[in-house]
Amino acid sequence: MSHIHLPDGVLPVWLWASGFVIVILIWAVLFRLMKKEELTRRFPLLGMMAAVMVLGASVEIVPIAYHVNLTVMSGILLGPSLIFLATFVVNVILALFGHGGITVIALNTLMFSIEGALGYFLFHLFWRLLRRLGLAVFLATFLALSVSTFSMIGVVSLGTSHYEELIHQEEGKGIIGFEFGKEKEGHHKEGLPEKEVNMNRFIAIILPLGFIGWVLEGIITALIARYIHRLRPDLLRLDKENR
Amino acid sequence: MIQLSYLDYLAVEKKSFLHRLSPKLKIIVMILILFAIVTVRNLPGLFLLYLFLLGLYFLARVPMRIFPLTLYPLVFAFLFIFLSGFQPFFILLIFLKVLCGSTGVVLLLATTPYPSIFSVLGKVLPSSFVMALFLTYRSVFILLSVLEETQNALYLRGGIQWRHPWRSLTNISNAFGHLIIKGIDSSEKMYESMVIRGFKGQIHYRRE
Repeated sequence: MSHIHLPDGVLPVWLWASGFVIVILIWAVLFRLMKKEELTRRFPLLGMMAAVMVLGASVEIVPIAYHVNLTVMSGILLGPSLIFLATFVVNVILALFGHGGITVIALNTLMFSIEGALGYFLFHLFWRLLRRLGLAVFLATFLALSVSTFSMIGVVSLGTSHYEELIHQEEGKGIIGFEFGKEKEGHHKEGLPEKEVNMNRFIAIILPLGFIGWVLEGIITALIARYIHRLRPDLLRLDKENR
Repeated sequence: MIQLSYLDYLAVEKKSFLHRLSPKLKIIVMILILFAIVTVRNLPGLFLLYLFLLGLYFLARVPMRIFPLTLYPLVFAFLFIFLSGFQPFFILLIFLKVLCGSTGVVLLLATTPYPSIFSVLGKVLPSSFVMALFLTYRSVFILLSVLEETQNALYLRGGIQWRHPWRSLTNISNAFGHLIIKGIDSSEKMYESMVIRGFKGQIHYRRE
């Protein structure tokens, strides 16, 4: 729910193209900052956590079209910089299954990365404040997912004028329309309804479903963290903060 | 996602004309299909594209068993139609775009082995990214075998029952926790064996 399961060709070109530009920029910065040996050593872990996220995406709660992302858990285990690369890989693989379009891979990566990185920082903050693992993970997951859902809504709403144009296409004549950055021009041609895209209705559908998802994923992630803490507490790297 | 191994099997074992085409050519055609999906905005055009893809699907003798994979993204497209005020033209446009995109990628995957796709991507993407793709691909298969064992354990512990939601959530979470721990253990072993075989930050693969 917190990422865009949109097909290709729905979002305006300038929007998804800017997503790729931002992802490439972040990528360039991260590769400069990360130590190469550290990156090489953690590659198998990155691949494994990306695979866990791919499998998590296959467990779907059908009535609300929700699946667990496990990005917050992966963020906690991988750290905020590696999660970025992991989410990109996950989105490429998911897009190859038609699970979100190929053109929205970069935007989905940004959304997933916000979730993972924010989840990591919030978890450590709540752990320091509360000292209760389950609660800290639940709150971190709930908040990270809600922020990424709102950013998804924000991204979708950026293309409003483009959707209007698609809706009115029926009345237009073109077979092909390729516009780059043209969305800001006036689309409300005379004789056409003023505004038919209803973001409020979209938000009214997404938020309640999203809320159920945030709670479910919060509980599942908290229970997973407790399980991992019981068997391999070293993976959560909490000992530094316990001192 | 269990379909992943079946798709991989189809891509490697089947021998249709689409399987024999070079991966590079198929990826170029997929990019052209994407371009058409992004730019074509009329229903007949998209419908023709969908018919063309369906024709390729049957000519390539891809089994019907994986056809539902092409319909799966419609679940999410359904949410998006609330934006439009339920306009039939917009709904059909979105659904056709979804079907063209998903049929195209499933067709690509069912006729091209993953490593061949990754090796083509390796020519345009950084090596570290392609390495991450390879490792994830390998890890998915490792985790699928762990998942099979875990499913049995899950079943013995009561599995998923809607009448007992808390127990079901605990079982799902323990299964994922088990999957993560097993996965991390395997990744450590994988790294050790890669280092023993001379891994220095790059995977070399046959470009064919």
